[in-house]
Amino acid sequence: MATPNVQTKPWLESRLPLSTFWRNHVSGYPAERDQPYLATLPGLILGALIFLAVSGAVLSLFYVAAEGSAFHSIQFIARSVNFGWLIQSFHSTGTTMLFAAVYLLLFRGILGSQYKGSGDLVWFLELTLFILLLLVGWLGFVLADGATGYWSLHNAAMAGARLGGLPGAIAEWIFGGPAGPGTLARMVVFHVVLALLLLVVASTLIIARRTTAPPVQRKPVALHPYYTAQYFTAFVIFALIFAILVFFAPHLGENHLNLAAANPLMVPAVLTPPWYLLPLAAIGSIVPTTLGGVIAVIAGLAVLYALPWLDRSRPGASTGLLYRFLVFILGLDVIALAIASAAPPSFITGILIKLFIVWYFLHFLVLTPLTSSTPVGATPVGATPAGGTESK
Amino acid sequence: MRRTLIATAALAITLLAPNARAQDTLNQPHWQSQGAFGSYDKAALQRGFLVYQTVCASCHAAGELHYRDLAGLGFDTAQVAAIAANVKLADGPATPDDIFKNPYPDPAAAAAAFGGAIPPDLSTIVSARPHGTRYVYDLLTGYAAAPSDMTLMPSHYYNIAFPGMQIAMPPALKDNQVTYADGTKATAAQEASDVAAFLTWAADPNLDARKEIGLRATLFLIFLTILAIATKRKIWRESV
Amino acid sequence: MAGSGTEAMGHVDHVEAYEAPRRDFLKILTLATGAVASGAIAWPFIDALNPTREAEATAKPIINVGGIAENTAIRVEWLGQPIYIRKLTAKQIADNQFVVPDSLPDPASYGDRVKPGFETFVVVVGLNTGIACELEGNNPSDTRGPFDGWLCPCDGSVYDPLGRVRSGPAPKNLAIPRFTFLNDTQIQLG
Repeated sequence: MATPNVQTKPWLESRLPLSTFWRNHVSGYPAERDQPYLATLPGLILGALIFLAVSGAVLSLFYVAAEGSAFHSIQFIARSVNFGWLIQSFHSTGTTMLFAAVYLLLFRGILGSQYKGSGDLVWFLELTLFILLLLVGWLGFVLADGATGYWSLHNAAMAGARLGGLPGAIAEWIFGGPAGPGTLARMVVFHVVLALLLLVVASTLIIARRTTAPPVQRKPVALHPYYTAQYFTAFVIFALIFAILVFFAPHLGENHLNLAAANPLMVPAVLTPPWYLLPLAAIGSIVPTTLGGVIAVIAGLAVLYALPWLDRSRPGASTGLLYRFLVFILGLDVIALAIASAAPPSFITGILIKLFIVWYFLHFLVLTPLTSSTPVGATPVGATPAGGTESK
Repeated sequence: MRRTLIATAALAITLLAPNARAQDTLNQPHWQSQGAFGSYDKAALQRGFLVYQTVCASCHAAGELHYRDLAGLGFDTAQVAAIAANVKLADGPATPDDIFKNPYPDPAAAAAAFGGAIPPDLSTIVSARPHGTRYVYDLLTGYAAAPSDMTLMPSHYYNIAFPGMQIAMPPALKDNQVTYADGTKATAAQEASDVAAFLTWAADPNLDARKEIGLRATLFLIFLTILAIATKRKIWRESV
Repeated sequence: MAGSGTEAMGHVDHVEAYEAPRRDFLKILTLATGAVASGAIAWPFIDALNPTREAEATAKPIINVGGIAENTAIRVEWLGQPIYIRKLTAKQIADNQFVVPDSLPDPASYGDRVKPGFETFVVVVGLNTGIACELEGNNPSDTRGPFDGWLCPCDGSVYDPLGRVRSGPAPKNLAIPRFTFLNDTQIQLG
């Protein structure tokens, strides 16, 4: 085994045993062999979060959180600040990559029924990560003060002001009244505070994956250099995809109209949020009233939280072929819902959106309990090891 | 048999083709900045700026541009100062540090002058419309006689590229409205193409740097990916 | 892992032993390329905090002085302060060139106040060194005081054309900002 670095100061080591900690929990940590590349996703997510935090910090040096000046300050960043255009692109494309990774993580969790048994905490943490990320993403979207972001904030604040009772009080607390001067400054603070919370949740997720992982089955291998090499490769591939998007498709998934300044006197023809908010926004828009919309969104997320109970298969049993097929259909359903809600509204898209939302809830509330209780078909080759989550 | 198949396919295509407008499909306009390896044609940008300054700037603002930014078009400091000095602001000639002149002191004055239809700010118009460069070109060249069954709103013009087909902006470009210094023939289509190029630059002045750095970064990362995969495999093969 | 606290220490011995690293070419190349990548990614973040082109231009503006008529001064605002750039007449130079520095309230010679090779230009901060007040005297028609320089309208301090205080409550000569002559007609402040 690797000997300790002889340059370690015994003085520090005797007070704060960092290198021992590093050896036991990081570089020398016994890990399961032959883990797939996708197991690096939580690490990639944490890395992306840190990258977004740093680029956000640089942006915040120049961003002005005041209605009417915010868009202009972002243009200043893009046009005048040295490499400002690149930092801004890092931040917005980084958000897209982060959401893609989180959606992939959730999809894998549903596909492999990783929420069963002691994997439920990890599943809840992943969902909390997802919800916090949606909030932070929406806040970032409105902070850009583009034409669609301005109206998204304006509509949300106005709708919140119209609610009564406790939901109305909460909405008023969040927005501070109708949208106006000062709203953006609040949104910046929420954006930063929730982003820091995200870092905490992501770190807790990684720790929880390790503590709830099943005991190592075959002879373990040290994390370093086997998994440092795998993580390095995963990061590089992630960076390659990221670079292609940053430099050649910087506005992928954005509504074009959001790249024009906000105009309080004009509502854009197409009001859509960024791509990662589309499915949930569609679910929320299906009910005409504000309170109904909020309940619909909560319901859409609640069915995900309820999966450990909706899934009837025994912990330790692999999920059947039919269930896995239906999960793929669910994935396609969510993608189709996003595409349909981004398209210009028409009679056909209206029907399709309702259809996709009904299927979404049907999948969780009806199909999952039915198809998971009696697994159909043999265990596919390459399924996750019995017992739910993977070890780190 | 084959001829029937081809004829059926051709008929199907014409029936299914979405709203094919009668446009010149033989000479598709093309801009050097398009594509993954595109870069700005500075000559076209300068011509486009001339058209912009002569025609568009009398009604449109571009609040995110400063005159000093025109150095990105290839003008030197003296030319930029001269361009700025030619612009008459309320308190004297403009300096390079000034924002592009807004023809109207406030939105109310603009609305009053145009019956409510305020000319939009053009700084980011190309980013704010899908396929923005092509959209600007199509808009400027899309004026036509209204079909007989359509009644135009007062002070509106028929334009096939504008959503709703009726636009409050009068046809702005005519042949030889400007004289190009480099001798290019100033047809209305050429002017439209050059203005579209200039407005593309206005919305995205860093395009050249972005694509150049992007190419290098992508190739470098592909190289690093291959190295990383090879190293990982080598490590996993060793004593595992 | 549950209960991995102290067990992990013992577990390390059972982990598949990794042979002493043979520093081979592939790993070194990968690490080096990764380091280059990290540096390339870090540079935009660092450079973003450097001053923008406009900030540098504001910090070191270039002023055209070729058009200044003799016996007049222009006023340029720089970083919130008024800078007076005056072109001296031959008489003003003659009257002030050989004044004994020690006879002045704040001793300074002619050479201290002008740049060598450009002795006809005086560049000063146009603020009184006594009570803070902007000076008069840029135009020939302004009241300039007995020495044909500048006069403070607030406390009556009198300055000569080189910006040296001659009388009055003000204790010191006018401040000279940092500047260089780029050529005969342009100076750069800062």
